[in-house]
Amino acid sequence: MDIATDLNIADQAADGRQRGFTFFAGALMALLLVIVGLPLLMVVLMSLRTGLPGEGGALTFVNFITVYSNPKTYHVLVNTLLFATGSVAVALVFVVPLVWLLMRTDVPLKKTIMVLLTVGILIPVFLRTIAWILLLSPKIGLVNQWAMQIFGLDQPLISLYNIPGMAFIQGVSFVPGAFFMLAAAYRTMDPSLEEAAHTSGVSKLRTFLKINIPITMPAIAAVMVYLFMTAISVFEVPAIIGMPARIQVLSSLIYSSTSPPAGLPDYGLAGALGAVMLFVGLILAYFYVRLVRQGKKYAVVTGRGYRPREIALGRWKWPAMVFIFLYLAMEVFIPFLVLFWTSLLPHMQLPSVEALATVSWNNYLTMPANVGLRPVLNTVILMFAVPSVAMILSVLISWVVIRSEVSFRGMLDTAAFLPHAIPHILLAVGLGYLGLAYRNYFPLYGTIFIIMMAHIISWIAYGTRTTNGVMIQVHRELEEAGKVAGASKSRVLWRIVLPLVAVGVMNSWIWIAMLSYREVTMALTLFTRKNVVISTVVWQLWGNGSIPEVSALGVVIVLFAAIVVGGLRIVLSRMGTIGQAS
Amino acid sequence: MISIRGLQKTFNARQGRVDALREIDLDVSEGEFCVLLGPSGCGKTTTLRCVAGLERPDCGEIDLGGRKVNSTSPRIFCPTEKRDISMVFQSYAIWPHMNVFQNVAFPLTQGQKRVAKPIVAERVRAALKRVQLEGLEQRPATDLSGGQQQRVAMARAIVTEPKILLMDEPLSNLDARLREQMRIELRKITKEIGVTTLYVTHDQAEALSLGDKVCLLNQGQILQVAAPHELYTRPANLFAAQFVGEMNFVQGKVVGPGQVETPLGILQAAVPAGVPTGAAVTLAMRPEHVRFHAAADQAHQTVSGKVTIANYLGEAVLFEAVCNGVAIMAKIAGDADFSMGQTVAVELPADRWRVFP
Repeated sequence: MDIATDLNIADQAADGRQRGFTFFAGALMALLLVIVGLPLLMVVLMSLRTGLPGEGGALTFVNFITVYSNPKTYHVLVNTLLFATGSVAVALVFVVPLVWLLMRTDVPLKKTIMVLLTVGILIPVFLRTIAWILLLSPKIGLVNQWAMQIFGLDQPLISLYNIPGMAFIQGVSFVPGAFFMLAAAYRTMDPSLEEAAHTSGVSKLRTFLKINIPITMPAIAAVMVYLFMTAISVFEVPAIIGMPARIQVLSSLIYSSTSPPAGLPDYGLAGALGAVMLFVGLILAYFYVRLVRQGKKYAVVTGRGYRPREIALGRWKWPAMVFIFLYLAMEVFIPFLVLFWTSLLPHMQLPSVEALATVSWNNYLTMPANVGLRPVLNTVILMFAVPSVAMILSVLISWVVIRSEVSFRGMLDTAAFLPHAIPHILLAVGLGYLGLAYRNYFPLYGTIFIIMMAHIISWIAYGTRTTNGVMIQVHRELEEAGKVAGASKSRVLWRIVLPLVAVGVMNSWIWIAMLSYREVTMALTLFTRKNVVISTVVWQLWGNGSIPEVSALGVVIVLFAAIVVGGLRIVLSRMGTIGQAS
Repeated sequence: MISIRGLQKTFNARQGRVDALREIDLDVSEGEFCVLLGPSGCGKTTTLRCVAGLERPDCGEIDLGGRKVNSTSPRIFCPTEKRDISMVFQSYAIWPHMNVFQNVAFPLTQGQKRVAKPIVAERVRAALKRVQLEGLEQRPATDLSGGQQQRVAMARAIVTEPKILLMDEPLSNLDARLREQMRIELRKITKEIGVTTLYVTHDQAEALSLGDKVCLLNQGQILQVAAPHELYTRPANLFAAQFVGEMNFVQGKVVGPGQVETPLGILQAAVPAGVPTGAAVTLAMRPEHVRFHAAADQAHQTVSGKVTIANYLGEAVLFEAVCNGVAIMAKIAGDADFSMGQTVAVELPADRWRVFP
């Protein structure tokens, strides 16, 4: 055998392996396109059909005409715009000073504040909303009752049931997520860019206006666009506050169309409205990606590790701490305390001597009977299955995107990111329609599996962002050393790459499990008696007016989340991050 | 121009307290190019940043151009932007959202020494000409190569005609060839405009070629301040001897006036006054002063050794010969004719030994 023949055979073998790899990547791509594309296709389909799912029928534009010739629709769109703008404004009012205070000044207790911000993310938005309703509802709100007692008013002092109220609660809930997004961008800004201005004789104020703001503007703008994208499609706050007050936004209108309190669902209407939401969402997603790319151009991370001198707040320390405390109170302390207080009473009352006499753990003791086993089981299934499937898919997709030479890996990455731009309510409605209309092919409707699918599709985007970042950090040469030592591709993945990315992957696993745990929009839209989960139980109890039971369940939900996440985070941080490229 | 007295600074790092600066005293006269040299963590950058006002020392006095900018008592601290200084950063710190012209013009349009618009354009163009970047005014900052960014940083620093120029390892991010070129240009520019310069580097070759005066630091303390020639030929202590240039070290014991007993035999060396007989000393000699001969002869005092390393450098050959278990390095002209394994007579001229107690 001469060398030429040997090389030929080796070439063919390499080609074969490359082909096999491409085939695998292609299969992943096809899977993604199907699971993301199908629900979207359903939304489009349902907008073009009339009648009930499964009835078939000709494609028609009549739904669009009905929706957009109805003045009520424009009223709803204006509401949505006002609500979204208001929430983003409220969020920014808190986020920008918070980021500046925690990243640039010598404000004390930074670590504690950041932990509390993370706790804020764990309190499900619907629980926080319920807590604030318990405070500010005109009829039953504790604050109003107290004001009426003290000041002898016959009108409630303040009501939450209006668009400013909704925007306020939603904005406050946006802050922790926006904070971490903005802080990450801030951290990649080279501190010597400010120092260079100081050494050029430029005053601190002028440096802030002419250097800091323009350079962080893309990051701030990206966060604004991202928040706005979320705000026009978010459902929980508009559902709990808006719907009882008959203030409809796009998401609550879509929900009411598919799950009306009375009468038949109108999927055509939902589809026509959803198509608009989707269209606007995709445009905003495009701007978001562009802004992020521009922000990346400005990010230069030096290896020096010189942090800029923290600005000494001096006597401004106290107002800063008050500001931070006020925010944390609104986000974490007050909601939790309100829920806790109400959970201890047989019915809602102001704190007083009589009230204290009725305090007991009753609501907690009767909880197992009230809630039952099924929601707990379903939630547990979700919390294990969703992150596992999502992370396995994410690791495989990232492996192809980051580490392989497959030609369409860029498209694969985009396909994995797409679910991020799809509003959850639409995803759920689309899947629901798919399950109903095609129940002969997809017998998933009404089971926990359809909720599971909705969650997995939603969070592959998050999963791949993390695994991409983690895979990039595992230096290519670590893998190449494995190859040189003679290990096969899969062995390299199993024995070298996976152990190194394990911590990052597990962090994401926990995060996705918690996202599933506190998710209610999709679970509610796809709700049936069989797939009830804990978050939908809260919804049901709230709908029944069982306030003390809701509060008790809320307290348990928050405590459980805090314990699980806190505990696992501590364990994982001990394991540390290994194999990071220096 | 720059006067530093009693500078002290301690950092609280994750591993505990780090004494970055312990009592630093330094003077730089007007127009002088002073290099702060030392290994990582020696305190050179901290000193520079204290002079710049970017770091606040725990105590110490700093005077710039006769004006006190930092003092312990009474407590004086002049903020960076009010000091008459300019600085070139290791990462260049070119503002990405502006173009070259705007970057260089920024100190003149937004700083303390502002000038009228037509003069701004004139001064910017002159500065860019000095760093050989004319014509690139409209280029966006994100489109510049490393070398170009470095020049823009330089132009921005000199456009205000500062009294004091601070540079924090500005050449360390450039590739070797470019670094050497820029070194020569840098010295030319600073001498042309006559600015007092304080320059930080860990590269001793750079320090020797650039500085009028080199200040060697280690672990927060100044070990020697001298002209490059003085630092190289008469290092004041073992650290200086070993950090600057290559050096041979031989341990020994003083056995008489000018006599040291070593594994190479009893050597003649100038023992400094005050070192008693019987004291342990270290003898040091530069490789370029070591000579090889093919065979021992009466004219020179030699030790027999075997060549173990022959490293061809182009202009010279770096040999290592082992004599009585002691490895001696020799730097000999490129056409030297000695080969590996050859036994040679190693000549160690007595007047070239430096003795460190």
